Amino acid sequence: MNIIILILQFIFVPIISPFFIGLIKKIKAKLQNRQGASVFQIYKDLWKLLHKDEIISNDASWIFKIAPFIVFGVTFVVGANIPLFSSNLPIYLSGDILLIIYLLSVGTFFLALSGIDTGSSFGGFGSSREMTVSAIAEGGLLFSLLTISIIYGTTNLFDISSGNIFASNHFILSIILAFIGFFIVLLAETGRFPYDNPDTHLELTMIHESMILEYSGKRLALMEWASANKYVIFTSLGANIFLPYGISYNTGILSIILGILFLILKISFFSFIIGVIESRIAKFRFFRLPDLLLVSFILSIIAIGLIN
Amino acid sequence: MSILFLQFLLEMMFLTLVFLHILKKNSEVVFAYIIQSILISLVLFDSFIETGNILMLWVILCVLIVKVILGPLFFYRLIKRDALAFSVSTYLNSPLTLIFISSITFMAFSKNLLPVTNIIPLHHILLSLSLSMIFLSLFLIINRKGALSQIIGVLSLENSIIMFIIFAGLEQSPGLQIGIIFDIFVWIIISTVFASMIYNKFGSLDVTEMNKLKD
Amino acid sequence: MLHLITSSIGFYFVLSAFLIGALGSLILSKNDKYANIWSNFFSILGSSTGLIFAISVMITGKTFSFKFNSLYQHLLSFAFNIDMLSAFFIGIISLIAIFCSFFALGYVKHFYKNYNIGALGFFYNILIGSLILVVTSSNAIWFLVAWEMMSISSYFLVVYDRKDESNVKAGLLYLIMTYVGTAFILFAFLLIYKYTNSFDFSIIKSNINLIPLVTKNFIFIFFIVGFGVKAGIIPFHIWLPLAHPAAPSHVSALMSGVMIKTGIYMFIRIFMDILQPIPVWWGITIIIIGSISSLLGVLYALTEHDIKKLLAYHSIENIGIILLGLGSSMIFNSLGMISLSLLSLMASLFHTLNHAVFKSLLFLSAGSVINEVHTRNMEEYGGIIKYMPQTALFFLIGSMAISALPPFNGFFSEWLTFQSLFQGITQLHSSLSWIFIIAVGSLAFTGGLALTCFVKAFGSIFLAKPRSQEVKSAKESSLSMRIGMGFLALFSILLGLFSGYTTILLEKVGRGLSVFNETFSSISISGNQLFKLNNGFSSIGASSVFIFIILGILFIIFIFKYLVNRDQKIKTGKTWSCGTELTPRMEITSTGFARSIILIFKGILKPSLQSDIEYHDFQSRYLPKSITITFKVNNVYSNYFYKPIQEIFNGLSMKVKKIQSGNINLYISYIFIILIILLYIIL
Repeated sequence: MNIIILILQFIFVPIISPFFIGLIKKIKAKLQNRQGASVFQIYKDLWKLLHKDEIISNDASWIFKIAPFIVFGVTFVVGANIPLFSSNLPIYLSGDILLIIYLLSVGTFFLALSGIDTGSSFGGFGSSREMTVSAIAEGGLLFSLLTISIIYGTTNLFDISSGNIFASNHFILSIILAFIGFFIVLLAETGRFPYDNPDTHLELTMIHESMILEYSGKRLALMEWASANKYVIFTSLGANIFLPYGISYNTGILSIILGILFLILKISFFSFIIGVIESRIAKFRFFRLPDLLLVSFILSIIAIGLIN
Repeated sequence: MSILFLQFLLEMMFLTLVFLHILKKNSEVVFAYIIQSILISLVLFDSFIETGNILMLWVILCVLIVKVILGPLFFYRLIKRDALAFSVSTYLNSPLTLIFISSITFMAFSKNLLPVTNIIPLHHILLSLSLSMIFLSLFLIINRKGALSQIIGVLSLENSIIMFIIFAGLEQSPGLQIGIIFDIFVWIIISTVFASMIYNKFGSLDVTEMNKLKD
Repeated sequence: MLHLITSSIGFYFVLSAFLIGALGSLILSKNDKYANIWSNFFSILGSSTGLIFAISVMITGKTFSFKFNSLYQHLLSFAFNIDMLSAFFIGIISLIAIFCSFFALGYVKHFYKNYNIGALGFFYNILIGSLILVVTSSNAIWFLVAWEMMSISSYFLVVYDRKDESNVKAGLLYLIMTYVGTAFILFAFLLIYKYTNSFDFSIIKSNINLIPLVTKNFIFIFFIVGFGVKAGIIPFHIWLPLAHPAAPSHVSALMSGVMIKTGIYMFIRIFMDILQPIPVWWGITIIIIGSISSLLGVLYALTEHDIKKLLAYHSIENIGIILLGLGSSMIFNSLGMISLSLLSLMASLFHTLNHAVFKSLLFLSAGSVINEVHTRNMEEYGGIIKYMPQTALFFLIGSMAISALPPFNGFFSEWLTFQSLFQGITQLHSSLSWIFIIAVGSLAFTGGLALTCFVKAFGSIFLAKPRSQEVKSAKESSLSMRIGMGFLALFSILLGLFSGYTTILLEKVGRGLSVFNETFSSISISGNQLFKLNNGFSSIGASSVFIFIILGILFIIFIFKYLVNRDQKIKTGKTWSCGTELTPRMEITSTGFARSIILIFKGILKPSLQSDIEYHDFQSRYLPKSITITFKVNNVYSNYFYKPIQEIFNGLSMKVKKIQSGNINLYISYIFIILIILLYIIL
């Protein structure tokens, strides 16, 4: 039983992530009065890409070739190290917030390098924009998670998710502020509106898509899948840390199943909000993005200040 | 000889210094200096009579030869050969100069300088007088534009210092120290004066050059 | 045997190796090859025995001190004190020096015939020797002698490549700044002497109560300036980005990796050991300096396109991070939270060690690139990974380590630093905790920006197409150079993997200071490198991080490469460039890469953009002949800090000049007036 739970913890993020990307697309399609593709379309796309042949630029080096594996591998590792459906696992996973943040940075690092590697001007500019956004987002991300860590007195995400956050009303304002900060960073890190437009290949608007422009076949599948994983990682962090309802506190089958259902429900809720946001607002001009990220940073700092 | 006579000699010297300030001709300035030097050798002679030191006689002889004969001769020759180069013009006019002289003298006699002028209480007036002479010589150097008058000022400064030392009593250590300090000052002044003479020489040459260019 | 090593004999052996190396290479300076081999052989010998010496002292905990008295016994005595802290720094110096010397064996070859190799070997050995003297001497005068030896030998190494005018200028600036610093240090020691009547560190320490608090504060400020110049804290850093690039690369590695750490060593020695107890505001000052240095250091690094200058700015950034740890240690110490203080000190020592390793690794690999491409301008690189694959791998490891990416060593020391700052936020009250919040914020942004900067550096040096012809003739560097870099890269992995053992050792080093003699540990380390704060706030396991990352990535590679669609065909083709021929001019440059960040931080960086357009026909202005765009970042420090000082001095001199009329009468009236005034004052 324990083995099954562990395997589930490890593969949950990669297995479920394409579904939510499909879900957002579906929600957006509905809001635009379209029928839209099935929510499982992304799985089919990935399957198709995985079985295609590849073309690799002859300017590319081994960085380009290995980057998809590292980027995907990092999201896989991080996905296994955060609380998903249960805060109490058979083995001890450190789940430290700093480790999570910096592990995700490893993925960003290789993603950006692979963008530069082919020598294409799209890739280079995509990397530059990606790094700019992620550098400025880092403060907000760290501080919003830190707020919760300080309230609970631990930086271990599993311990945080097992506590009842609304036990004392004392911190409620801090938590709300930190959540707003976190949500802004979530949009930035997962490449959503108003930071990035995941649907276009228009050079002025894209960040993530331009970095993976040169990829094809298996490697493209991994890159797309990794970004889907990242989306699930961030939303489940938001779900389990800021709204830790329904997460399983033990390893009983029923509570695990309940935990999984709750998590899917919560992420679907996030996806719905993001879908609405993407249908309602336009992408921001690039130089307005830092202001938004600084807002998230400042909100989180205020949140910490309110604790003391 | 009595203090009174010494005081008379010193007052005469003081007068020559005042004249040095007022006089407008180079030759007269040199003449005043000769009188001052003769007076100083008289004072030295007086101390020779009191102590009976033969060495002193040699000193007096040296003073007479250098200060009364050789020095003035040298100056006269300079004046003759290079008459225009020297000037006795001053920065302050005569009445202002006199006011300065009186205020400096007053300062030298003031109570604040009592520790210096009262080294030997008996010689209080003599010391004050020689101190005021030192100040006046310095003021002479400051006030005069011509290099010759400045040199004379330096020389009379030396004279006044000698006066001061004699009346302060050479063997006393504080007096000696003050003497050393003043001597250093004197040497600095002498070297600067000569340096400025050279500077003036070149400066004036330069100016004529420039005037020619203008034509 | 161990007994022999951890005694003054072992120490003499280390020093004499450097001395023989120095003198021998001077004698052999007629023959370039022999001089190079001789000097590096002895520096390797000296530093490897130094490493053994340091490690055995640290492990056995056998500290000792000895001295020779000279004529002026109470003033100058050649006193050595090798305690745990000194041993730790000897260890760092030796570790870096070994691999720099290996690197030098191959690297110095390109100086043959043009330069005096004997002199290089001489100053190089003297520099390492004097570094060891600096961290062991325990008498202020003797310390200053060693300090000067270090400064002067490094000055000669900075101006070694004297054919380049800018190197000589950089050397001059370095010399001036160093002497300004030394003057402050000297002044501080004299102030101490005034009250304690001794230059001996141990006597000063026992008599420290004799110094009144106000004077102590002044001493603190003087030491901050004096050692801060050497450590390169902002705003005294201006020499660092000029002087470090000017020196030969193995020397830059030594300077950036080790020499600036002597400033940190003295900070720890004086604030945590000699001047104890200390007021709280000292620690606050250090933290604020650390925050500013780290954040601004990395921002300036982003604006650079000279590879070595970029690395030099990163040294400033990392010194800032080290100071964040040290500053929080000082605050906890003043507040009596001794075990947290020990934790922060460990963080700062750990980062000192790690920075030494990865920064010298980066400098060495930058040096081998420069050696092949003959320019430091990153805009002229590109695609070097295909010509120098191993150097590229080493640089990649260095970049990941300096950006604090797990599982390399930089991550673990930054993790510890973060933890000590977090403790400050949770355990202290409002006004003090804000200081820590600011520090965490600056450290977080620093991490993100450093990552950006190294994506830029690695991308524009090694990736994409070559942007100049020189790159195409580049070859992988020689074996000895690769040994130097490879071992440092290995160390930055090992220090990460065994960060638990390293932390245990560092705790021992910290306990060597008398403040921490009987402190409870605030961190516990278990066998599998798991370290855990004792109040349960955080924990991390180095080996589990390693296993997770390595296994995770291998697992992914295994599945997607060998299980899914195994018979996939891979073709190579051209990069898509909208149908035109792809040229290197289309790639992003390092300036272009950093431009958006520069514009975001334009309030701090003050960039200026100048464009000049020349037209074929001036009247119509339709056909531009040439367009010149100058994009540069203004030097805020010379504009707003050093220039005003210079202007004040110039203005004063101009005013003073007015009384120098050249008129003799005026001069004499000055004398006259002063005489009168003096007479009135004295009498």
